[in-house]
Amino acid sequence: MDYKNTLTTCTYCGCGCNFFLESLDGRLTGTIPCKTGPVNEGKLCIKGWNAHEFVQSDERLKKPLLRKDGELVEVSWDEALDFTATRLKEIQKTNGPDAIGFCASAKVTNEENYIMQKFARAGVGTNSVDHCARL
Amino acid sequence: MAGLAASFGSGAMTNSLVDLEGSDTIFIIGSNTATSHPLVATRILRARENGAKILVADPRKNQIADLSHLYVRHRPGTDVALLNGMMKVILDERLEDTDFIKKKTEAYDAFKNLIEKVDLDAVSKICGVSVEDIKTLALTYAREGSSAIVYCMGITQHTNGVSNVKSLANLAMLTGNLGKPGTGVNPLRGQNNVQGACDMGSLPDVYTGYQSVTLGAANKKFADAWGVPELPTKVGLTIPELMSGIEKDEVKALWVMGENPVVSDPDANHVIKALEKIDLLIVQDIFLSATAKLADVVLPGVSFAEKDGTFVNTERRVMRVRKAIEPVGESHQDWKIIQDISNLFGYQMNYDSPEAIFKEIAELTPSYAGITYERLEGQGIQWPCPSLAHPGTPILHTDGNFARGKGMFHAIDYKPPAEVIDEEYPFWMTTGRVYAHYHTGTMTRRSKSLNFEVSQGFIEINPADAKTFDVKDGHRIKINSRRGEIETRVKITKRVEKGVVFMPFHFEEMNVNKLTNPAYDPIAKIPELKVCAVKLEKV
Amino acid sequence: MIDQVKQKINELLSQGSVKGVVALAYAHGHAGPCLFQKGDDLDALCLGDEKKAGDVRYPLNKVLITLARQYPDDVFGVLVRGCDERGLYGLYRLKQLEPDKVVPIGISCPRDLALACECKKPWPDDMTAGEAPNEKESGGTEQKGVQDVEGKEQPERFDFWKDQFLKCVKCYGCRDICPMCFCYDCSLECEDLVSKGDLPVDIPTFHLVRAMHMADRCIDCGLCDEACPVDIPLRLLYKKTAEVMNHEFGFTSGINKNEISPLSLMGPMPEK
Ligand code: SF4
Ligand code: SF4
Ligand code: SF4
Repeated sequence: MDYKNTLTTCTYCGCGCNFFLESLDGRLTGTIPCKTGPVNEGKLCIKGWNAHEFVQSDERLKKPLLRKDGELVEVSWDEALDFTATRLKEIQKTNGPDAIGFCASAKVTNEENYIMQKFARAGVGTNSVDHCARL
Repeated sequence: MAGLAASFGSGAMTNSLVDLEGSDTIFIIGSNTATSHPLVATRILRARENGAKILVADPRKNQIADLSHLYVRHRPGTDVALLNGMMKVILDERLEDTDFIKKKTEAYDAFKNLIEKVDLDAVSKICGVSVEDIKTLALTYAREGSSAIVYCMGITQHTNGVSNVKSLANLAMLTGNLGKPGTGVNPLRGQNNVQGACDMGSLPDVYTGYQSVTLGAANKKFADAWGVPELPTKVGLTIPELMSGIEKDEVKALWVMGENPVVSDPDANHVIKALEKIDLLIVQDIFLSATAKLADVVLPGVSFAEKDGTFVNTERRVMRVRKAIEPVGESHQDWKIIQDISNLFGYQMNYDSPEAIFKEIAELTPSYAGITYERLEGQGIQWPCPSLAHPGTPILHTDGNFARGKGMFHAIDYKPPAEVIDEEYPFWMTTGRVYAHYHTGTMTRRSKSLNFEVSQGFIEINPADAKTFDVKDGHRIKINSRRGEIETRVKITKRVEKGVVFMPFHFEEMNVNKLTNPAYDPIAKIPELKVCAVKLEKV
Repeated sequence: MIDQVKQKINELLSQGSVKGVVALAYAHGHAGPCLFQKGDDLDALCLGDEKKAGDVRYPLNKVLITLARQYPDDVFGVLVRGCDERGLYGLYRLKQLEPDKVVPIGISCPRDLALACECKKPWPDDMTAGEAPNEKESGGTEQKGVQDVEGKEQPERFDFWKDQFLKCVKCYGCRDICPMCFCYDCSLECEDLVSKGDLPVDIPTFHLVRAMHMADRCIDCGLCDEACPVDIPLRLLYKKTAEVMNHEFGFTSGINKNEISPLSLMGPMPEK
């Protein structure tokens, strides 16, 4: 029996509410607002209260997809990563680093944004990195 | 961002959320707070309970307007005119804070000259707001005590979004409502980590902490830290520029992480064309979004519930995200996907955890220098936090010490929106959110409870217009703009005025961004999502 | 007090008489609900008294329902205050928990908390730690909040509630946090009663539908009040409902272990 409450921060709006993700045997079962969260003090909006619901949706992507003969088909990680790195390298060589653009995200973590812009700038050699949501 | 940075030297919310509770007056403009930022509404309503005056200006009469002391319905895109009108009243009544202006600001004279020429009757006509209401707004905001401004995308998503924000900064400086509890100019971030994405240098002109890529010192510092001989010094392309770069065959590959530009960006048909054309489209996401469907390769990352890391909220508070469950299926940690590709590409990275990445961020970013995962336990920390002993900064620019030295006034004239109504397209259309959904709906629409609340898109129209078109609640109606056509369900409401319609943008199958205008603010590159001209046709 | 609780939990776990104990624990600088199992470190245990007594309470019975639904044959311990124990009695009556599968670990609330809550029963029958104050001293039974609102003229009262309900952002937090809300089909989601899709909610239908549905269930724990993002005094509303129930039927939810609700159509009417 593995019952856990994991303290985290809401994935939706910019308020930054803290809540516990409640899980039982690896399945998310609920959201419980953190009483001592500095922003929300035990309260949430409807999105926060249901933030666990989409996570284990059947529609989640479970394997990498690669376009073959016009169709997206499931492939192994090795194949997907290889394809991506090889094609990026080819384009960088043929068309120069500024032929590659990066769209980072206001939805993912700081660490993920950081590592993406680092790859863009230090790896590929372009400053063309932006995120979609300009407030 | 850009507007506030030009005025104050920093683009973030100046005060804390809890701080709003102590305001004497709160002026909310272009924010549907109760719907989009409910936990900010909490603070505003507490201030109201404590006796604060609540002022709301918005083309659509939203819920917070129902609860306000004064609500004005200005026409879409006329914010600068309204604000200039208010500042004219303040000058006429000699309510400006001369001491603050003299000591803490610059470029006041040019601004003053412009405002003195403002004609209130003309403003009233442009905005559709009575002179009396403009006066009450101004006098209430400028009265004794602390006044805070709260704004959101209703201000920024315009071709003149930067001017709108600068005007709000002018208003706050004019009355000395900065750097003190209960005051400030407070943008509410639309998505959970907009602040963090900007802080982390997911912008074409800066590294982390807004260190410019064109600045030799910063450039060298990062090149050394990242172990490369040199880093590009040319400012990169923004998303709209990338899209047109694709058309011009200059951009050949795009890597999209966790975003869905096909639904979130204006003129969707145009975006789809560009993404279909590009040689290599890499999409990293948790669902097969409309954008992922166009990709050449789709890399399944994980949701917030499956990862460790940090987010930064709208009040600059860095907070922990913690892993609650194992990744779904064979999905991989997003940082790991990037690291793996980087290594195959030939640029070596070997972090062993998000915490290791965060350590590097703190080393390279002065405003994050004092932040560690350990210190984030508990309440998180509001940057700037320059050292391990520093407690963080709840209020920016205290005592008028602006990040850029002095606060900068900008003389700003009203300009009409990029697209205005005419005979062919006689309706103003504006867009926004509903309470149960978020952004492009990729997450919320897959949530049973949220989809139950609001399961399909709709268009709000005024009863008088409904009568003209002979439509009732639930009828279908066709909406056309110069860029596209969609069909949706009618919802009749007085929340919108005659001649104005409103649509939420969460619904891929009736994508309102097929209609919106991709005209951008020339500085902030934010599209004019909030106004365009449309025509209606009964189906 | 906490040491007695720790000792009791230790006993239960080491004897193997329970599978786990639902209580509160510190992690990452915050107290939160936790399931202690055999071998777990009890140092993190806390009782939810942060700045003030009882200011960090969580719906532990709700956690218990989640566990019981998945593991119906196991026995669990649970940390209870007076209101939580009333909740257990109600949940036994409503067939959501089995009395022989629950071991309550009772703690009493201090007088100032009882007064602030206007609590009718700040100590559980089954007490592990703390003292039961004598009834007179506890002083919490006087329902001053309700009386104050009753004292207002009708139009003023009407305006008061209308203004409160107008603030509602329809988060359903009052329902989601409530340890006595467990239905799979919620009446607030019944479109014949409450329309959906817009704010503000139907006034006063939304809030009255909930008040009605809670009439014989609410155990006056106040968690809904604390969870409401717009500070609607929900507990006050439900206290009034409870008063009507008491006045009309002589019924107070969860006060007696073997209670029968006057609203349970299948059972006999209790004697007044
Ligand atoms: S719970 Fe609601 S208000 Fe809080 S961060 Fe999430 S979306 Fe924003
Ligand atoms: S006080 Fe509120 S949360 Fe507690 S039982 Fe009553 S309705 Fe539920
Ligand atoms: S908790 Fe408050 S805001 Fe949320 S649904 Fe209940 S009454 Fe409305």
